[in-house]
Amino acid sequence: MAVTEMLSNANRDYARGLARAFAGALIFGLPLLMTMEMWLLGVAMHPGRLLVFLLVNFVTLVGLSRFGGFEHTYGLGDDVLDALAACGVGIIASAAILSVLAIVNWSAPLSETVGKIAIESIPASFGAMIARKQFGGEDEARDEEEALRGAGYGGQLFLMVAGALFLAFNVSPTEEMVLLAYMMSTWQVLILIIVSLLILHLFVYRVGFAGQEEAPEGLGGGHVFLAYTIPGYAIALAVGLYVLWTFGRTDDTAIDQIAATMAVIAFPGAIGAAIARLVV
Amino acid sequence: MAKAATRGKPVGAPLLEWLAAGVGLLLVIAVIVVIGRDAVSGATDGTPDLDVVATRVVAVSSGAVLEFEIRNHSAFTAAAVQIEGKLPGGETSIATVDYVPGRSVRRGGLQFSADPRGAELRVLGYQDP
Repeated sequence: MAVTEMLSNANRDYARGLARAFAGALIFGLPLLMTMEMWLLGVAMHPGRLLVFLLVNFVTLVGLSRFGGFEHTYGLGDDVLDALAACGVGIIASAAILSVLAIVNWSAPLSETVGKIAIESIPASFGAMIARKQFGGEDEARDEEEALRGAGYGGQLFLMVAGALFLAFNVSPTEEMVLLAYMMSTWQVLILIIVSLLILHLFVYRVGFAGQEEAPEGLGGGHVFLAYTIPGYAIALAVGLYVLWTFGRTDDTAIDQIAATMAVIAFPGAIGAAIARLVV
Repeated sequence: MAKAATRGKPVGAPLLEWLAAGVGLLLVIAVIVVIGRDAVSGATDGTPDLDVVATRVVAVSSGAVLEFEIRNHSAFTAAAVQIEGKLPGGETSIATVDYVPGRSVRRGGLQFSADPRGAELRVLGYQDP
């Protein structure tokens, strides 16, 4: 009797988590659901790279489930289940919104429709996964802080990757990223790199990281810079390059042009890495 | 009570969790199969195969619009597709269609001051997306 009651409570809690996940999918998915370049990417993107991107997203979702998914988890198996559910929520939410907005047309070829839904489901599933932190209660937030404290340096770096990936992905489909790199002079690109590093460092040093009230491990500014800011910016650059490659922006492009575009994308990427703690 | 269920010893994942994960798994597999088919089918930079046909003529206040359909017979998307229509009398109109995805149809119209019946339509060019 007590067990049945506990199970029905668990189902009800999970249903509430799912509802939050849909809300998160809408909030985090809508900006890209309403971006024209994304619809084209779904059609014209290299299918192999799209599959790799879906896989990277899934691995990130499993990691995020560890540190703040929409439901309290007990182990890796549970995290995989939650990541699958988040993918499902992302796909359903994207399909529904894209249909209402007349962007997918079910009479069009299947691969066109599925391509658009697949690429749009990535930000939506991310939103679904982190919805709990946004709408969840205090208790749950404290659980995550504990989980993160246990995760150590690797966990912090993972969160930076997730944050950088999300923000970089949010801006990089647009033509503006490449255009900015064309328009900016070399000096302006260098200044942007310094500004990105400074902002990242201030966020890391002043705001601190998940599970920590103060600067990481009470370290001095120089140490934090080497242990968190530099790796954080390197992560933002690497994520920028990965996203550029995914969207085919590195193909037949000169290396200095790619580097400038990486620096442009690493600017939001660095901020994403720095504030991952607040969002995730 | 709810607290005991979430905080206490795991009772196993609730049924709804398995259901949500199962639906998610099915959707993920479906997406991978459809995209994977394209990925496996090989070549990724090919040439769009476009043709344009007139569909109907509609009279408007400043003349007439000749509506057309562009069909892309290949799997490769074309961007910035330019369509030209030429009347026997020499009047020429040009329209640009942003994107014609692979194996898809896009529609548009060319405006003329004279009656556009008998216009000659052709694709001028496109850009790789």
